[in-house]
Amino acid sequence: MATNKKKELLIGIAMLGAGLGYLLMTIQLPRHAGIDAAFVPSLLSALLCLLGVLQLLSVRSCAQAVTEYHPDGEADSPQGGSDIKTVVKTLALIVGYIALLSPVGFPLMTALYLYLQFIVLTPVDHRVNHLVYALIALVTAAIVYLLFREAFDLMLPSGLLPF
Amino acid sequence: MLELLQQGFGAVFSLNILLLMVIGVAVGIVFGAVPGLSATMAVALCLPLTFTMGPQAGLSLLVALFIGATSGGLISAILLKIPGTPSSIATVFDGGPLMEQGHGVKALGIGIVFSFLGTLFSIAALMFIAPQLAKVALRFGPHEYFAIAVFSLTLIATLSAGSMVKGLFAGALGFAVSTVGIAPVEAIRRFTFDVAELNGGFAMLTVMIGMFAVAEIIKVAESGRHAHQGKAQSVSMKNIKGFGFSLKEFREQLPNAGRSGLIGLGIGILPGIGAGTSNLVAYIISKKRAKHPETYGKGNIGGVVASETANNAGIGGAMLPLMTLGIPGDTVTAILLGGFLIHGIQPGPLLFISQGPLVYTIFAALIVSTVLMLFMEFYGLRLFIKLLDVPKHILLPIILVLCVVGAFGLSSRLFDVWSILVFGLLGYVFVKAGMPAAPFIIGFILGPMAETNLRRGLMLSDGNFVAFLGNPIAATFLGLALAFVLWQVYSALRPKKSAINEILRT
Repeated sequence: MATNKKKELLIGIAMLGAGLGYLLMTIQLPRHAGIDAAFVPSLLSALLCLLGVLQLLSVRSCAQAVTEYHPDGEADSPQGGSDIKTVVKTLALIVGYIALLSPVGFPLMTALYLYLQFIVLTPVDHRVNHLVYALIALVTAAIVYLLFREAFDLMLPSGLLPF
Repeated sequence: MLELLQQGFGAVFSLNILLLMVIGVAVGIVFGAVPGLSATMAVALCLPLTFTMGPQAGLSLLVALFIGATSGGLISAILLKIPGTPSSIATVFDGGPLMEQGHGVKALGIGIVFSFLGTLFSIAALMFIAPQLAKVALRFGPHEYFAIAVFSLTLIATLSAGSMVKGLFAGALGFAVSTVGIAPVEAIRRFTFDVAELNGGFAMLTVMIGMFAVAEIIKVAESGRHAHQGKAQSVSMKNIKGFGFSLKEFREQLPNAGRSGLIGLGIGILPGIGAGTSNLVAYIISKKRAKHPETYGKGNIGGVVASETANNAGIGGAMLPLMTLGIPGDTVTAILLGGFLIHGIQPGPLLFISQGPLVYTIFAALIVSTVLMLFMEFYGLRLFIKLLDVPKHILLPIILVLCVVGAFGLSSRLFDVWSILVFGLLGYVFVKAGMPAAPFIIGFILGPMAETNLRRGLMLSDGNFVAFLGNPIAATFLGLALAFVLWQVYSALRPKKSAINEILRT
């Protein structure tokens, strides 16, 4: 149960950090007399910092209540199926996909991304079926590319492909 | 009004719009039915498709998606005992047991028919209330709009599930993110770090796609590989007359449905909270008022009726502030707001004057989609059940590709695609921290509205704050906002949990 308290404490620090960061940027805004463009950001940064402090205080003062509190139930059990490796792999794939979208082109990158992402996300008790995955990836990439290009006039980057 | 409505139906019954709506309802039902996909996602992902359509066709498609997805949640709620969307959580309580007892078709039929009735009821209410409210709202100036925006912001931040501090923080953070870009009134650049793409701030759609769709994919990456996907049982449609329940059962449920419809409508109108809350509230109240409350949770059709009538009645409710004030009632209508804006239409009281025919086309589209939903969902049930079995590890990557296409389609720049990834990460952090995403979205949308109107109001009154309090409507809303925050703080300090929190946590 101590992990939960630590987690709430971390959240509080993150909240306060975000508030302070925003405050720092707000201070650098050009000011003039009266209500100016920095007025609302100043109010907001004060509110953000205050809420961060409140979160920290609530962790301190009612540690008991915090341990009983379950953040939003829904599939959020840190001990259960937490799988950081897959998250990192997924994020790396998405970053690579977006970064290469323009130079390599939408059709090729999409097919490649889908194929790799299917493999990464395949449940542990499933077999990876390379042929089916590659087929779905290719067909999806082609359909999406042609559909948007021809029917919706959206010029997705074609990249290396000549069409 | 009838003449305009006739025109609206005329527009909707053109072949291509009707076809779009059939597709929209079907896709919507799928998004509603598959757990993890939501109405918000359906509308956000299909919005780019409407760029090249006219406003009538585009908005009809989006409305069809909205209705399909809101009601589609009941399919997985009853067959899989997993709510397809947060708006059908309470449907599981009695729909699940009914399915186990072999009354699956009855539960589905009742759910679909009362979804239909709930939606129709709320559309009727929308059609009668909206023009009147728009007339009143025409007289609103910056003072009133500022007060309403502040009131809506406090409402959503404090009513959202979980801790109030986190809800408020999420709302304020959304507001803070919306201040990126060129400031209103004064036009100086704020927080842009000399990045030209940031001058216009973050596009609303990239924020929504990131927070709701990309975050979901990251979430599945974390838990999906070890989770077991439930297998949907099919139901036999043989020897089924009508919708699988008797007229007597239907009549018995009418008072319950009426009450739940009103609850759904009322909660739907309140900005920021919608069907996700109203189905639970309606369920609890229906249980309390029932003759045999002990049968609830064990397969009483009343539970399905309450939940499904209420969540669908939220549709008209959420459309009401959107169309009359330009304030979204929930996250789906927040994207619809984006849809309106992309077609060059500013929702608000003027909409009813300048775009009368379009308004009634939307009403007509709502009604037609509702009828389509009734028949497609019940008679196409077996098809939708098959789609429930599509594995998540195939489905979600494809959805990510569609997110990328949607973000890119906004203004053909990769900056927006990077934005969805950033907001996707933020959304994932929110999930991990138990922070609700809805206040963030509402803060992001209503923030600029509050700030712009504050600045304009102050200009009108020569920098005098008192003008906001001298205006009766503005003062009332500001007072309500203050009272609401104080009441929430008071109930948070009391050891006993407040009734609303109890409801939200059930």
